[in-house]
Amino acid sequence: MVSEEEFQRLCEFLYRRTGMVFTEAKRYYVERRVVERMKATAAGSFVDYFARLRSDAGGEIEHFVNAFTVNETYFYREEHQLRCLTGDLLAERLRGKPPGEAIRIWSVPCSTGEEPYSIALWLLENWPLVDQYEIEILGSDIDTAVLERARAGVFGKRALLRLPPHVVAKYFAAAGPDAWKILDDLRESVQFSRVNIVECAQTRQYGRFDVIFCRNVLIYFDDASRRVAAENLYENLSPGGYICLGHTESMSRITPLFDVRRFADAIVYQRPAGGVGG
Amino acid sequence: MLSSIKGQRGAWVAEGRKRVMVVDDAALVRRYYREALETAGFEIEEAMNGLEALEKLLQAPVDLLVVDVNMPQMDGLTFIETLRRQEGQLAATPALVTSTESSPKDFDAARRAGANFYLVKPISRETLAEFATMLCGIPR
Amino acid sequence: MPLIRKPSTATSTPSSPPAADAASALFLLENGTDDERWAAARVVSQMTGGVAALAKALVGERDRRVREAILTSLARAATPESVQALLPLVRSDDAQLRTGALDALRATKDALRPYLPSLLRDGDVDVRLLACELARNLPAQEASHMLCELLDHETEPNVCGAAVEVLAEVGGPEALPSLARCADRFHGTPFLDFSIKVTADRIRLESTRSRE
Repeated sequence: MVSEEEFQRLCEFLYRRTGMVFTEAKRYYVERRVVERMKATAAGSFVDYFARLRSDAGGEIEHFVNAFTVNETYFYREEHQLRCLTGDLLAERLRGKPPGEAIRIWSVPCSTGEEPYSIALWLLENWPLVDQYEIEILGSDIDTAVLERARAGVFGKRALLRLPPHVVAKYFAAAGPDAWKILDDLRESVQFSRVNIVECAQTRQYGRFDVIFCRNVLIYFDDASRRVAAENLYENLSPGGYICLGHTESMSRITPLFDVRRFADAIVYQRPAGGVGG
Repeated sequence: MLSSIKGQRGAWVAEGRKRVMVVDDAALVRRYYREALETAGFEIEEAMNGLEALEKLLQAPVDLLVVDVNMPQMDGLTFIETLRRQEGQLAATPALVTSTESSPKDFDAARRAGANFYLVKPISRETLAEFATMLCGIPR
Repeated sequence: MPLIRKPSTATSTPSSPPAADAASALFLLENGTDDERWAAARVVSQMTGGVAALAKALVGERDRRVREAILTSLARAATPESVQALLPLVRSDDAQLRTGALDALRATKDALRPYLPSLLRDGDVDVRLLACELARNLPAQEASHMLCELLDHETEPNVCGAAVEVLAEVGGPEALPSLARCADRFHGTPFLDFSIKVTADRIRLESTRSRE
């Protein structure tokens, strides 16, 4: 189907172009996607398909990459990062945080809200200190349609599949066939807004965060925009703050601005404590 | 592949293959070094630039780094400087710098950055295997 | 249920207030603190004289994050002026500056194109070598053509190696003759033998596969 050498060339091209890292473990999924896209584009061979991908004809790179990112968003996606949040990141952020200063977390892009709501749910359910601190959770996206849906807080069964049943029972109310609405208290505790992360005049308004989740969006940008976006997010982090990317992404292709930190549950990127950016 | 070495008090000590990470943004270079070093008995990891190398090293250390100078996002010398500032054993990982440059000031820059050795490209298989063996001990 | 309190309507203070006007920003770019220079580097490219100011500041800038911000701004501008500001840095002795300029040039995309042919013919070995990598982003046939032309005239094995590396991605059957001639000229040169063989084999294999 796809030879070893073809797989290597494809992975290397995708890494250079998007920053996505595909390991041997993902090979099956990558091959499957290649076959799907070859059919969809009527490419006669891998060679023809790769040429098309390289030239990004018809936005083929985005089409290819979408399979790995838009598997529908759902609650508690990439749970290991949530575990890292309560297991390691918050403890580190609290050291040296002035008393009374809120913990600020940004989910950007937030899409239809599953991610910021997941963060809220996870903290309520898993963080022993959740009552002792003021926590601000913001969700932002460039797409106003998804923001509307996020504010409405209504989700289908598929989005809730990873949530333990007691969590669903506690925080959601049935709102129709295959519709569950998140409780108002929780819904209102996340602030949603529109932002384009490539525009620093916009991102700058949001101030400093302790943790930013920025998953599966940087891969879609070209090199220049990606660098600018990374720089903007750096500015939006407090010194020592953390940014989490999607599990196939790496800052290593994007920018040397951040330090890489390895924790038990996740690799995350950290704005250094000293250094520029105010 | 495990081999055993009889330790000081007669206890058998198992020792695995030595691990080498090749850090170079050129795929063909990495492949060439991989083949040469695997033949010589080393286990190989790869990274395309200094940032990726750091990330991978945090997950699993190696016995030797073979590092090119000209790489995107983080060049080889900056990588070695950054590595040398890390905590623990990682900082001391031996590093062999490869470069197309052959002037004294380039050697000096590499030495100041913390490199342990310097080879000028193009490098033959035999030379690479010989220096890898010298810098991190026998491969098995 | 414990509440996560609603965020206060007053948002946090926006970070790093930008320089008030162009004149201040341009001044701060050279004379400000690290933070001020960083902030200025991120906004001046749109101002009159901004690209020239960035180019000038880049040469003397020692802080690596400010340098990175300057390079990003020049990359984003992607004008002939910003490309020309970046090009001389490819000759730098400083590895970080050299590779940083290369990354920025790569990101300027089409703005770089008119300069590639002369970069590939530059008198400086290192410039030719780095320019091969920049050709990777061109449409495959154009890149292949330029790199084959380089191979036919190149005397330095490391530059050939860099060209072959990119041809491994972009080269088609049209590259085989130049690759063969290069292999002859550099027969016995470590690594180059290997890389030409691997590349030529791959191209030949692919042309049989695509005919299936």
